[in-house]
Amino acid sequence: MAAAVSPSWNPLRCGGTALPVNLLVMAKAIAIALLLTNHVALLPDPFLPFVPGLDSIQPVLFQRTLQVVFVASALALLFNRSVRLAAFILGMTIIVSVLASKAYYGNNKTFCGFILFLTGLYQPGREPWMIRLQLALVYFGAGSNKLLDADWQSGVFFQNWAANRLHQPVFIAVSSYLPPLLLAKAISWITIATELGLSGVFLVRRLFPLGIWGNLLLHSGMLFFTGSTFTMFFYAMTASMLAFASWPASPMLVIFDGDCGFCALSKRWVERFDLENILDWRPYQSGAGKRYGITDADASQRIYLINGDRIYSGFSAFKMMVLCNPISYLLTYTVLAAPGAGDSRFRNVVVAILLFLFSPFFRPVGDALYAWVARNRRSLVSNSNCSLE
Amino acid sequence: MKTTAAAALLLFQVVMMVYARFVPSRYFCWAPFDIQTEYKLQVEVGGRALNAKEVRTRYRRAQNGTDNRSPQHVMDIVQGYEETYGRNNPARVEMRYRVNGKQEQVWRWPRQ
Repeated sequence: MAAAVSPSWNPLRCGGTALPVNLLVMAKAIAIALLLTNHVALLPDPFLPFVPGLDSIQPVLFQRTLQVVFVASALALLFNRSVRLAAFILGMTIIVSVLASKAYYGNNKTFCGFILFLTGLYQPGREPWMIRLQLALVYFGAGSNKLLDADWQSGVFFQNWAANRLHQPVFIAVSSYLPPLLLAKAISWITIATELGLSGVFLVRRLFPLGIWGNLLLHSGMLFFTGSTFTMFFYAMTASMLAFASWPASPMLVIFDGDCGFCALSKRWVERFDLENILDWRPYQSGAGKRYGITDADASQRIYLINGDRIYSGFSAFKMMVLCNPISYLLTYTVLAAPGAGDSRFRNVVVAILLFLFSPFFRPVGDALYAWVARNRRSLVSNSNCSLE
Repeated sequence: MKTTAAAALLLFQVVMMVYARFVPSRYFCWAPFDIQTEYKLQVEVGGRALNAKEVRTRYRRAQNGTDNRSPQHVMDIVQGYEETYGRNNPARVEMRYRVNGKQEQVWRWPRQ
């Protein structure tokens, strides 16, 4: 009988643990953001707790214990040590902090705590329905609360927030051409509809891709409009979309031109970052693509990637390689959270670029770039013996 | 057990969302940034007005601040402090606040 393989200590690895890869990536992304924004410094001592009696605990002991457990569990998560337990403990640390101090209480912290707590309760072999329900609940609560608020219905909240608090220049400029409160009211109702819509979308599997894009656009829009991540909200809400992602259950077949030096070089580079071995590379010359209807003529012009019953080619295939690699997300959240807890134009630019690159709008550009590289691959790599016929 | 714990957490949130319809506070009901409250706290202890640093030390809130939630959250903190930690060192508090930029309102502690 083969011995059980212990998960890797490499924080860039996300396979071989008690959590599915996508959920572990989600939890790690949140942990990375918590650590890089120095959230540990915010953890409170008991102050007007929601749970009576918590403030009878010696305050310094309480706070230091929380901080040590917080960092230890976050690091355990990153280094793949008992990941479900680590996520559970990290979530509980935040939940206990919230319950211990009304001054610390905040929706973003509560959400982080709940998502990590629920991740820790994940049962192998099942869908992460608890996490998905949590997201649906958050959007339903947010949307319904706004729907029933007179100042949201009328646009008064948004007008005051955008113009008087944020001094948002684009909003002020555009609204100056419109009747009073019209723009604010429109944005208010769009927000309400989006949040309530998302709460329903996240309950229907075939609508998950729509929900993921809706979430990313909503929270990125808030980031661009306000310049703020709302502490952890942006990171946690976007990372939690991984719970809705359709993650490959087995290695994806990649059909490439085995006679092409440039292709071989590209393969070696991609394999270097494919720590989970999610890609199974086969030259088309082996006939591997035939049963998927991929002719030799097609495969000699562009790369093909097969994920379940879906076939991607060219730029789309490359995009799938990036989207299904945990390193993409870990690196992204590290870059986004690196500027720290404050506002950052750099962060806004990175988010905007990523949204654009992975949006349908960039696809024609991506396809054109890919086609250009394919046509000129002979000259891109010396000693290449690619044949274009 | 795990399913029960998760279900209990989700049910708790549903209860809080319903409860929020009947009270001014907004805890655990996912009402982020739904109300903009600008407030100013004037606090007197033993006849002496506290400065900004003293107010922050006492209530862990800024003396002049903004809360992106219900004004009840600030009131809860002030009232909660005065009813517990501040019993032996009571303060008279006047909070002037505006909700979403509308007309200024006043809240006082002790209640009059």
